[in-house]
Amino acid sequence: MSALLREYGLMVGVNALCTAVCLLASPFTALTDLVMVYLVGILFVALRGQRGPSVFSSFLSVLCFNFFFVPPRYTFAVDHPQYVVTFLVMLAVALTISHLAVRVRVQAEAAKRAEVAAETERLRSSLLSAVSHELKTPLTAIIGSASSLLQAPGAGSGRGREMLDNIREEAERLSRLVHNLIETTRLESGAVRLKKEPYPIEDVIGTALERLDQPLAGREVRTELPEDLPLVPVDPVLMELVFVNLIENVLRHGAGGSAIEISARPVAGALEVSVADRGPGLSAEPVERVFEKFFKGGSAGGGMGLGLAICKAVVEAHGGTISAGNRPGGGAVLAMRLPLAKVP
Amino acid sequence: MEGSRTVLIVDDEPPILRFLRAALETAGFAVAEAASGRRALDLAALRKPDVILLDLGLPDMDGLEVIGRLREWTAAPIIVVTVRGSESDKIAGLDRGADDYLTKPFGVPELLARIRVALRHAQRRREDPEPVYRRGELVIDLAAHRVWQRKKELRLSPLQYALLSALVRNAGRVVAQRKLLQELWPEGGSSPEALRILVHQTRHRIEPEPARPRFLKTEPAVGYRLEVPDDE
Repeated sequence: MSALLREYGLMVGVNALCTAVCLLASPFTALTDLVMVYLVGILFVALRGQRGPSVFSSFLSVLCFNFFFVPPRYTFAVDHPQYVVTFLVMLAVALTISHLAVRVRVQAEAAKRAEVAAETERLRSSLLSAVSHELKTPLTAIIGSASSLLQAPGAGSGRGREMLDNIREEAERLSRLVHNLIETTRLESGAVRLKKEPYPIEDVIGTALERLDQPLAGREVRTELPEDLPLVPVDPVLMELVFVNLIENVLRHGAGGSAIEISARPVAGALEVSVADRGPGLSAEPVERVFEKFFKGGSAGGGMGLGLAICKAVVEAHGGTISAGNRPGGGAVLAMRLPLAKVP
Repeated sequence: MEGSRTVLIVDDEPPILRFLRAALETAGFAVAEAASGRRALDLAALRKPDVILLDLGLPDMDGLEVIGRLREWTAAPIIVVTVRGSESDKIAGLDRGADDYLTKPFGVPELLARIRVALRHAQRRREDPEPVYRRGELVIDLAAHRVWQRKKELRLSPLQYALLSALVRNAGRVVAQRKLLQELWPEGGSSPEALRILVHQTRHRIEPEPARPRFLKTEPAVGYRLEVPDDE
């Protein structure tokens, strides 16, 4: 508010200055030239971007011009009706100037803000790409080297081979964790834009199962995905990450070899997809805590607690919801609802 | 068995170069290394490699530009190496003329499989296309226009067959979504959505377990890949 008052104060000051200049110049110039001086003042005020003061300045200028210069001077009376026309034209020009100048100013500011925002986003995403590259390069070298040794003729057997397998598998797990960490940061910082397109959910689930081919070896996966399920608008890469994390979570916490059950069915305006098992179930209290970042399930070998947090973030970015629960008869279920209509 | 095939590795990370060289030499390839785009272009002209393994993140040039410059004069297969999450780079690489890609991190079996597929396709350009694709219990006979699963002949729609035929001709190699759209609907008027539905339906015909495809794999956001046939 005080900023606006200051603008009005400035406006009155500018007006007084214009009047002073005109008073000095009036003996030597035509009356209409003085109008120009006032218009310069109005332009100055208007370029500061405040609509109120610049409109007010237009009226004040006309009044001052009338009072100080139009004969009879120092009164608001007017000798000739032609001056009324002058006033009206002056007012019209003044208002137009202030309107245009204010608009230019506002647009310039908006453009600048957008530029700053875009620059911040660019910086953030290039920083994330650099971090991602720095972390993934050594992992690629470790995984590649271990797998290269495993591949070499006479790769050894027994203990040696077991250790190489261990290196490769754990480096792959670390690589998924790094990926989660980076994607979480990307999502939270708003540096990611969803590329949603209608997909058969089976397709996305298939790529997630493919990615977990090795960790899933020997584990039964039961899918119940009717062929005629409606397509659902998803970002396939991020949604694959959701399924990878949901399935990994079951692998890690659902001790024992119970089958992993993945099913989907259409419900009102949404697709409900669930990943479940017949393991020990969730011990979190309340169960929704499993979606908290850095929440670790009670059982051994729990990860960083990022996996389910990122699932929640991605599903919510899709306009959906995700929930956790224990199944009657034992086991855990993680279920999400993805809206079928495209949400903007 | 690889004879004296040469692989040009283009990557600026020494630890990656080190393991790639070890893995490829063990598999019997000759290896040339370049740590920059310019060096890669020079070496490609000098050594005439049979396959080029190109990391897109190079210190001196955009990897996509390297592909463009190579494609001006050589048809040698280019396999782009990228990290996960850079789907737009993969698509751009394929559009510029790359043959396939590998996502970091990858294991040696995957690396060798990609290289062998690329070599086979490079060779096939000069020979007759192989008329029969066989993997497990799936047989696709391009000459006879027939498909069998578990010795039972499948009745496929013309579009489903056209999809399989396009993928068989590129067996083992990624086929970009855009390329499939052009090939299956040359007069246009289709959409990626229609292609996804077609793939979905085709999977339900040929895959015993469509949610875990063994033949027709999806490359998320990029395209599709038919797994290499058994005799490769």
